[in-house]
Amino acid sequence: MIAKVVSVARWEYLEKVKSKAFLIGLFLTPVLMIGMGVIPTLLITQADTRTKVVGVIDPSGAVVGPLAELLESRYRLADGKPNYLLRPLTAGSTVDVKTSAAEADKEAGAGDIEGYCLLGPTPEADTVVEYRSKSVGDIQLVENLQQALRIVLSERKGLSMGLDTVVIRALNVKVDLKQVKLSKTGEKEDSGFLQVFFTAYVFLFMLFLLIVTSGQLLVRSILEEKSNRIVEVLVSSCSSTELMSGKVLGLSALGFTQIAFWSLMGVAASLFFGVMVVTPGIAALLIVYFVLGYLFYAAVFIGAGSPLTTEQEAQQVTSYLVMVLVLPIALAFPAMQNPDATWLKVLSFIPFLTPTMMALRIPIQMPSPWEILATILLMIVSIVFAMVAAGRIFRIAILSTGKSPKIAEIFRWAREG
Amino acid sequence: MLNISNLRKEFASVVAVDGVSFVATGGEVFGLLGPNGAGKTTTIRMILNILVPDSGTITYDGAPFSDDVRNRIGYLPEERGLYRKSRLLDMILYFAALRGMKRSAARAEALRWLSRFSLDAYRDRKVEELSKGNQQKVQFICAIIHDPSIVILDEPFSGLDPVNQILFKDIFHELRSAGKTVVFSTHQMDQAEKLSDALCLINRGRVVLGGTVRDVKKKYGTNSLHVEFAGDGAFMGTLPGVRRALLYENAAELELDPGAKIQALIGTMNGRIDISKFALVEPSLQSIFLQTVGESNAASAAPAEAV
Repeated sequence: MIAKVVSVARWEYLEKVKSKAFLIGLFLTPVLMIGMGVIPTLLITQADTRTKVVGVIDPSGAVVGPLAELLESRYRLADGKPNYLLRPLTAGSTVDVKTSAAEADKEAGAGDIEGYCLLGPTPEADTVVEYRSKSVGDIQLVENLQQALRIVLSERKGLSMGLDTVVIRALNVKVDLKQVKLSKTGEKEDSGFLQVFFTAYVFLFMLFLLIVTSGQLLVRSILEEKSNRIVEVLVSSCSSTELMSGKVLGLSALGFTQIAFWSLMGVAASLFFGVMVVTPGIAALLIVYFVLGYLFYAAVFIGAGSPLTTEQEAQQVTSYLVMVLVLPIALAFPAMQNPDATWLKVLSFIPFLTPTMMALRIPIQMPSPWEILATILLMIVSIVFAMVAAGRIFRIAILSTGKSPKIAEIFRWAREG
Repeated sequence: MLNISNLRKEFASVVAVDGVSFVATGGEVFGLLGPNGAGKTTTIRMILNILVPDSGTITYDGAPFSDDVRNRIGYLPEERGLYRKSRLLDMILYFAALRGMKRSAARAEALRWLSRFSLDAYRDRKVEELSKGNQQKVQFICAIIHDPSIVILDEPFSGLDPVNQILFKDIFHELRSAGKTVVFSTHQMDQAEKLSDALCLINRGRVVLGGTVRDVKKKYGTNSLHVEFAGDGAFMGTLPGVRRALLYENAAELELDPGAKIQALIGTMNGRIDISKFALVEPSLQSIFLQTVGESNAASAAPAEAV
């Protein structure tokens, strides 16, 4: 009995571990993760290495001077050169704004300037200043420019109201918000929004890819066995229970290979970069949910996949399951904003969503111990049920060829065996 | 020994197998014959415990099916019973392991069989790179590698060239001399005639003919006339005393009525075709097959096929 289960598991593992789909998933996933999570953050927060030229159209002629001065005094490149250089495109009310704007558009289009500010004739009364640029994504430039403009304009406003320059300068305090994440017990953890967000995101995505890759491999192999007569050889050599147990076992070994490989890469990366993304405790808990989710979905894929007869149907069924798995990814943002929301807790108790919801929630804010205990118990019970049902479906479905059975029929198999 | 008694299997609307019984003894090759859709494959699937019969019993060397039987049975599916993307040796070892073989023993046996079938060079190739005939050889290896006492072969000769057919037949004989029970299905009667010691002819789920090949032929008597000739022999079926004519290229087998006058028959034919040889022979299985299947189909009010 055991020997045959091991033989099936060994075969399933070795055949799949060599498959291209698996190898691509194994290596590409971390690369994708880094690509999606780390690189944009790095690029956004990366300091400039060259001076950026920004144009200004200032019909009043009164803003360019102080703005240039302020930018130069505040922002410097690493080598001491000014970070931003203002170029007055026109100054003074004699020039037609429209013509100079059209010219500035061309310059910005050609890349001579990063972009330009279009000020009104009475800048101190303006609440909105246009900044036109080819790339609107340069968050840092926009933020610095905005802050400098605010200071210059309020200075002018203050002067016109008769305030002293010293007073105005004193009023312009530069404030940066430094984010500190607090854990449940009130201890502070030194991680910002982006870091927490991407950690949650990375774990969620890894779990998602883990389940989807192996699920697809499993369904495809069952389909191959069914569309050939291999299944007859298999079922006459061992019982369907042995066959299914072997498949689940082999698939689990495959999943653990993936988790182990990724964990190693994760540990290596955190040692290399000197960043600890999660504590070992959190990592261990996440692995528990990974394993539970993986086993649950293995049963789901067997139950849903074994009655299928064509590749198209398999793709359809897989894409439905993918949608269920993707749902928590879509919920990542609201979950960050309000980690205590009741709906998050409710969704965590739907077995199809439990592993992914918990993978999302744990890095953001550790759920209470009773929730963790309850969801783990729920998953164990669900896995047992799913395995029994999948086994019943598998036993009948594995030999059915021709037309795929109706859904009602499959549910009957699952209930009655 | 494989003992099948009163097997019945009903699907949604059709009775696929209806009271089939036969005994295949060790040391003999047993042919399971019948036209397409007769119920051969359903019977085989029940023997392999892939399908559960509605009623009836099957015993394997005297005992009912058990996990132990799985390891003593070998099976060759009609075709496409292999993992196309897998390497030959790996796959053979997997199938051997599923039949309870130890890995080291399986490896030695696999290599021995691969060299016997001249497949040494392919052992690390993928199955899909092999020709159809070579794939059939691999299936054969998978069916017998674990030295089973009962071997079930579904259409084993499909896709084989004459050289390999001879190789398969040799192994059939070896299995028989080793006392194994060999059951094979086919719809090619000439093969069944040459290979089997006993047979069972199934039509529409029922056994229409069974026993040793000698008994079957004896039952139908030596009332066939084998003629080799040149010319157009289409008229032969209409001659008096000829029940049915099987026409081949330049040869014919005439089933005769019991009181047929052979001399007169030859005389009539001699004027119209150029006879080079004639002999009174036992009927071939082909002719018995057509006779019995035709009769049973006619009896159930089906339109009789023109021969």
